[in-house]
Amino acid sequence: MYKNKKSGFLGVFITIVILVVIVIFSNNNNGEASFFENAANKIVLPIQNGLTYLKNKVNGNQTFFADVKDLKKQNEELQKQNSELEQSLRELENIKTENEQLKEYLNLSEKYSEYKTIYGYVVNRDISNYFKTIVINVGSNDGVENGMTVIGDEGLVGHVVSVTATTAKVQTIVDTASSVSAIMSTTKDSIVCKGTLDSDSELKAMYIPTDANIIQGDSIETSGIGGVYPKGIHIGTVKKVIPTQNITERYALVQTAVDFGKLTSVLVVTNN
Amino acid sequence: MKRVIINMVLILVTFIIYFLQLNFFSWFTIDGVKPNLFIILVLFIGLFTSKNLGAIYGMVIGIILDLLTAQKIGFNALILGAVGLLAEIFDKNFSKDNKMTIIVIVSITTIIAETTVYILNYVFLNLNIDMFAFIKILLIETMYNIILSIILYPLIQKFGYYIENEYKGNRILTRYF
Repeated sequence: MYKNKKSGFLGVFITIVILVVIVIFSNNNNGEASFFENAANKIVLPIQNGLTYLKNKVNGNQTFFADVKDLKKQNEELQKQNSELEQSLRELENIKTENEQLKEYLNLSEKYSEYKTIYGYVVNRDISNYFKTIVINVGSNDGVENGMTVIGDEGLVGHVVSVTATTAKVQTIVDTASSVSAIMSTTKDSIVCKGTLDSDSELKAMYIPTDANIIQGDSIETSGIGGVYPKGIHIGTVKKVIPTQNITERYALVQTAVDFGKLTSVLVVTNN
Repeated sequence: MKRVIINMVLILVTFIIYFLQLNFFSWFTIDGVKPNLFIILVLFIGLFTSKNLGAIYGMVIGIILDLLTAQKIGFNALILGAVGLLAEIFDKNFSKDNKMTIIVIVSITTIIAETTVYILNYVFLNLNIDMFAFIKILLIETMYNIILSIILYPLIQKFGYYIENEYKGNRILTRYF
């Protein structure tokens, strides 16, 4: 494969560097300025500052356009006021949703106290890209049985699909083979939440009734229909409604309450 | 005796790859997509040893993976066994010294194996089919596997020809000329 040993080594080295760069860049999408952006800014900013200073100086000397200046000033003031008002509105909305959420949590903790649970750790995950089962460190010795519901601190995780003496495999709700029967907490419309391939934290809410009103940020909980999951366990919140040409086909994306990427400990509900 | 040592090394490599796949590559991902090191491992075992050994390794590794993580037992065993057999076909028809053939072999094997796993699971587990997402993940995974095999190939080649001499005798030159 490599006739020249030196160039072969160089090729491998370049491939490793490319791989590392791809990995870093593909996973770095949290809005922070990257190293290269910072470097570019450092080079460009002094020049830009100088130019801005010059421009301001030139503008300042023009007394001829006094009227325009007044108007500009007024405009600025109004814009400032407008943004302040918008901000206070947003704050109010935030407080409103926070209030609702706190009320929900209060209900949630009361609900969870009814269940008898077994505490377990996540010890293994599926190695492939297409399935999202997890393995936990409690099994039939601890009283775990097939089909039991598994919850996390924030909400529903999944259900047990197979048990050994000391471990149990759990099919998470984000797995592509999983469907959860659910209701929207405010409108009480029933939907089905299915796992998607491309996201670890989103569910696809399907079979939405045509007359249903979907509210963004509305909380989704299990309906108890089907008998797999008990009623009233928090699943997540509506993130986005995707309309389609035919209203029967529209679906919504549901943000799961549990962060499956960082899930480390779970509770197995023993009395459904 | 030599063969015993070779097999012990291969088993050790399997363990190392298992922990790499489970821990390191669960965060060292391209856009959240992991590579599949087991396909590369079984493929190269099949390429450099006899046909049966590749298939046996594939089956055993597959069954262990099924028992540890999968929902239904047998799919991984079936697919990795098939990868071992596929490797023998590639070995008969292609040269292992060319970079391009290695890239083609790895990509074809990855695509066939993952697509078959997905279809099998679709039939038996009633997946929610999601064509675009699947194709996107498959392409990224194939690319990742190619990059990894390019990086690891000098190492694999050295060890691989050592194994091949042991299992098939030194007929690397006589076969092609």
